[in-house]
Amino acid sequence: MRPAIFKVMIREWKRILTFPVYYIAMLVLPPVLCLLYAGIYNKHFAKDLPVAIWDEANSPLSRQFTFMLEQTESIHITQQVHSEGELQAMLHSGTVMGAIHFPRRMDEHIKSRRPVYVTIYTNVSYLVPAKLLYKDAAQVLLTAAAGVQLQKLVKTGMPAGKAMALVMPVQLQSFTLYNPRYDYQQYLVPGVIAVAMQMMMIMVVALALNYEQKTGSLEALYEASNGSASNAVMGKSLAYLGVAWLDYMIITLIIYPLFASGAQLFSWGLFTIFTLLMLACISVGMMVSAIFKDLLLACDVGIFYTSPAFVFSGFTFPRWGMPWYDQYYAMIMPLTPFVDAFFKVYFMDLPLRYVRLEMAHMLLFTVVGLPVAILLFQRTLQPSTVQHA
Amino acid sequence: MGQLFLREIKLIAGNHSLLLTLLLAPLFYVFFYGTIYSYKVEEKVVLAVADDDRSEMSRMFVEQMNNMQVVSVLRASSLEAAQERMYRGEAQGYFYIPKGMQSKVLSLQQADVVLAVNGARFLPSSELTGAITQLGLTIGAGVRLQYQEKMGLNSAMALQEAMPVNIDYRPLYNPQASYGGFLLPVLLVLILQQTLLLGLSGSVALERENGEIGRLVKVGGGLSGMLYGKAAFYLLLYLAYAAFFMTVNYQVLQLPFRGSYRDLAVLLFLFVATLIPMAVWIGTLFKSQLLAAQLMAFSTYPFFLICGYAWPFESMPPLLQGLSSLLPLTPFVKVYTSIVQTGGTLQDHAGSVIHLLLLWMFYLLMALWGLKRLNKKQQPISL
Repeated sequence: MRPAIFKVMIREWKRILTFPVYYIAMLVLPPVLCLLYAGIYNKHFAKDLPVAIWDEANSPLSRQFTFMLEQTESIHITQQVHSEGELQAMLHSGTVMGAIHFPRRMDEHIKSRRPVYVTIYTNVSYLVPAKLLYKDAAQVLLTAAAGVQLQKLVKTGMPAGKAMALVMPVQLQSFTLYNPRYDYQQYLVPGVIAVAMQMMMIMVVALALNYEQKTGSLEALYEASNGSASNAVMGKSLAYLGVAWLDYMIITLIIYPLFASGAQLFSWGLFTIFTLLMLACISVGMMVSAIFKDLLLACDVGIFYTSPAFVFSGFTFPRWGMPWYDQYYAMIMPLTPFVDAFFKVYFMDLPLRYVRLEMAHMLLFTVVGLPVAILLFQRTLQPSTVQHA
Repeated sequence: MGQLFLREIKLIAGNHSLLLTLLLAPLFYVFFYGTIYSYKVEEKVVLAVADDDRSEMSRMFVEQMNNMQVVSVLRASSLEAAQERMYRGEAQGYFYIPKGMQSKVLSLQQADVVLAVNGARFLPSSELTGAITQLGLTIGAGVRLQYQEKMGLNSAMALQEAMPVNIDYRPLYNPQASYGGFLLPVLLVLILQQTLLLGLSGSVALERENGEIGRLVKVGGGLSGMLYGKAAFYLLLYLAYAAFFMTVNYQVLQLPFRGSYRDLAVLLFLFVATLIPMAVWIGTLFKSQLLAAQLMAFSTYPFFLICGYAWPFESMPPLLQGLSSLLPLTPFVKVYTSIVQTGGTLQDHAGSVIHLLLLWMFYLLMALWGLKRLNKKQQPISL
């Protein structure tokens, strides 16, 4: 039993290194995509976004606010505008991503107890820059506003501590855990690599059994597996798992630390959930391969099944914000429980006991997928079929 | 050309993979993907709250928090229990009110409250932080208002004194700053692009696999004739899809359209006309339809991520900026979002329109070169 499985496994490795449909997708694409994704987010944050200032106040205070805005990470003041029309034109042409408006007689109004409104404009058709701009601009303006209030209260003779307590009676200590600076490389790259890996595995394994007929090698597989579909399917699965581990090592130990500013991606917890994801993908792929004899159809099923996985997984847009039927659909993809487990194990550094449910969910694909593949492939791996093929 | 046009229809009808990719997938995906973001914003993000103060003020704080559209409060017995809720994924963060908050505020001492959000999830954590910060400011203003009234100011003056400098935030072109409003317009275009690239490159790879290139060049009366004959069907089909997406799907998904349809039509024509030779050229690089389908499927995310929409173009390294500039999607997205979302015009983006025109010429040459190479290879050997 064991030698047959290993024979099939070694035979499969040789096939992976022989046929482009295997080696390009399994050995070339993962490192290339990893390099590309790490490169895109090499700067980690969107910095120095072009912003216009519309300063109708033209006062010491407005100049001080402008100086403070320029000191932030995301804001780079590149334009001065003098009207709303001018500002709209710049936003249309994409010259600026946002703008800050200081109203006429701002300082005077502050002193004379007339409320002042400082306007922040952002072009939210570009969501990421808009959110960053608003965050930084609001922080500066709120701090500045608090400073103005503090000065006013101190001038009335109030002790500084008491004045501070009145300016901000409830001090919100806000912590953004696990990715405090909203680092895009840290956040997005491991996730999109995982997506590429699941896509790669399902699409390649969907050709694991049926491709034997195209290459006329079914008889050789029959011999290597002693005519047992379970030996064939298990042996092939082990071969693909081995390649997945190799990809994992290359990505986490070489490419990611080298090209993602030395960031560490490897961990045993991550390795465990990655293995379960790959097993789930191999099982789904084997099932597809055993069901569809037509290679193109199997490939199309793989594309159709895997391409929406990222958006359904809840990685970028939370699943609870989707309609209920989409939430159910998300559950039939192995990436969904993986993403939930990935957040806990990779970002939150939690032990595996927190992801038992997600691990069980991923295992379910293997428990169902592999036996179905074996049962179906046994019908193909009959002496009469093999000789005919 | 007419002969090649009809032949292309027959080829697609007889090949289930092309049929699925070109005729079924665009329509199916556009409705299927669209539903994910149909609510556009994520509401009621769960926040675990531990209140050790148990005062009137802390209860009011929590109640007001729960009344916000963004937040859904999940009560926890202690700080540790609230943290545990977050670890288990039941909450996206926790909020802690320590004992003595109310008494400190009433005795004009600053009180601390703690908000910790799970930054591993971008959208919910930033929504939570924004909402709770706003609530904190409102409560602070309320306390100041009461203080000023006690000091003898009338309500109107006390209100002005409580908030001397205010922020007026105007998120333009996507007023809810929603993820759906941001992604959906480009998602529709991405579906157009990817199904076209996948289908047409697959069709060209199939012709290569079947050794048909030489014959097709003869039927077309030359390389250009063959290219235009094959391209005509895709141009018509994808312009029809584009018209459908920009009208029906915009209506169904309730997406605002602020620009001119004429400008958009010109832009889409140019975009599809550029994608076609690009797909033909890519198709000539593959020896089989299977390999073309398999590898092109991986192009969706990289193309989207480097086009400058999800991540600013200027923030990418020069090499990737160069690669991004070779994609028709890059200049297209810039003009398209401006037209549909901000009401911009083609004139506003003359540079990007010229960029797209240059890419059209570039890919036309590449496609002709690719076909010429294959035509040479597939010529029958004369004895």
